[in-house]
Amino acid sequence: MESFWGAVKLMLFVYALAAAISLITAWMIKYIFVVIRMQKSHAEASKSAKAGTSPTQGGAAPKSTA
Amino acid sequence: MPEIHFLHLFQGIATMVASDPLIAAARVLLIALGIAFVYLGAKGTLEPLIMIPMGIGMASVNAGVLYLSAKNMGTIFIDPIASGPDKLFDVLQINFLQPIYTFTFSNGLIACLVFMGIGAISDIGYMLIAPVRCMIIAITAELGTMLTFPIAVGLGLHYNEAAAIAVVGTADAPMVLYASLLLARDLFVPITIVAYLYLSLTYGGYPYLVRLLIPKELRGIKMDQKTIPNISAGEKITFSIITGTVLCLLFPVAAPLFMSFFVGVIVREAGVKQYVDFLGGTVLYGSTFFLGLLLGVLFEADTILNPKVILLLFLGMLALLLSGIGGIIGGYIVYWISGRTFNPVIGIAGVSCVPTTAKVAQKEAHAANKFAMILPWAMGACVSGVISSAIIVGIYVTLLQVPSP
Repeated sequence: MESFWGAVKLMLFVYALAAAISLITAWMIKYIFVVIRMQKSHAEASKSAKAGTSPTQGGAAPKSTA
Repeated sequence: MPEIHFLHLFQGIATMVASDPLIAAARVLLIALGIAFVYLGAKGTLEPLIMIPMGIGMASVNAGVLYLSAKNMGTIFIDPIASGPDKLFDVLQINFLQPIYTFTFSNGLIACLVFMGIGAISDIGYMLIAPVRCMIIAITAELGTMLTFPIAVGLGLHYNEAAAIAVVGTADAPMVLYASLLLARDLFVPITIVAYLYLSLTYGGYPYLVRLLIPKELRGIKMDQKTIPNISAGEKITFSIITGTVLCLLFPVAAPLFMSFFVGVIVREAGVKQYVDFLGGTVLYGSTFFLGLLLGVLFEADTILNPKVILLLFLGMLALLLSGIGGIIGGYIVYWISGRTFNPVIGIAGVSCVPTTAKVAQKEAHAANKFAMILPWAMGACVSGVISSAIIVGIYVTLLQVPSP
């Protein structure tokens, strides 16, 4: 019976640790993604600035309807 | 002309007659079971990729028992317990499947090869749609992996054996093989067979669980397709290399699995078509074929007569059932968190049987509402499940197997 309760304690520890690491991994993924997106938009903004137009103007350029 | 004895000529029958009645009965049962697996695999009731080679292996090895010497019976397929250089050198020359077993199976290489193939056919981008929500589902879908462990200990298994059978709850067969090889080498054959047998049944069993626990109006919730971001290959590669490296750093014992999975993903996203075709085709299907064949060949009469097998059958079923329930609970949690916009059926996909459980989720949502498209989220939960399963295996193996410094 003692080993059963030992197993319950071990299970709780493993579950808590796995949940913490998994969630940290998920947050890490989320923030990597956010950072990449921000860098992309910065790069686009500086590209547009060099070209002499604002990013909004560049992004909202009318598409050909032909 | 030499004197011909009928039983000397047909040694498969002779060994059946000469052996213990219980062994003979087990051999007949396993031959019948092997034939049934081939039939059900060919019919599509069970997973054909694994069940057809496994079935033919089981039937052949239990039929093909012969006299290796005057008193010793055995086969010329595999000797799984051969160890030591001399003995191994002998059996490598006699048993025709021994080279594959020794060099790919007993060291876990075959599980890693399957993982490379899975990586090469998995789109990791699905996980990036909603990583935290997908991971919440994946964690709750480990309920069976967790609860089965103390139950198995309570039923008399050692910690290592209990952890190995509990990993069936991850529904990730290569992971089960890898964990059982490291944690309970004596039981890895029955545990892996139990895992593959049950996993091939998830496609048939989980839909009933979904219908039982989720009302039709919730099963038919439509997901907003506009929330799916456009994720570039570079972003997926960045994610894979960072996540893979961090996980290897945390759990070196599971590093071969992490590396194998993420190398498959990176090769796919880098667009190296030759490698993608190789890993996702030849390596994945070649490994799956030999995995099935070797598992079948390892399923000899002695295996089924192990008293622990009945216990393993029960615990394996329990682990998968609890994981399915846990996944659905996770689906409900995210449904509430999201303000009732998330389809709770996606929860079943947290059980990481890629891509079967995601397909089950999509099928059930579609049956409730033909406009419900949930597959991208379900695949995200499935891929998250692979990662959370590998983390759990890493923790179990580190705690129970790896010596402390």
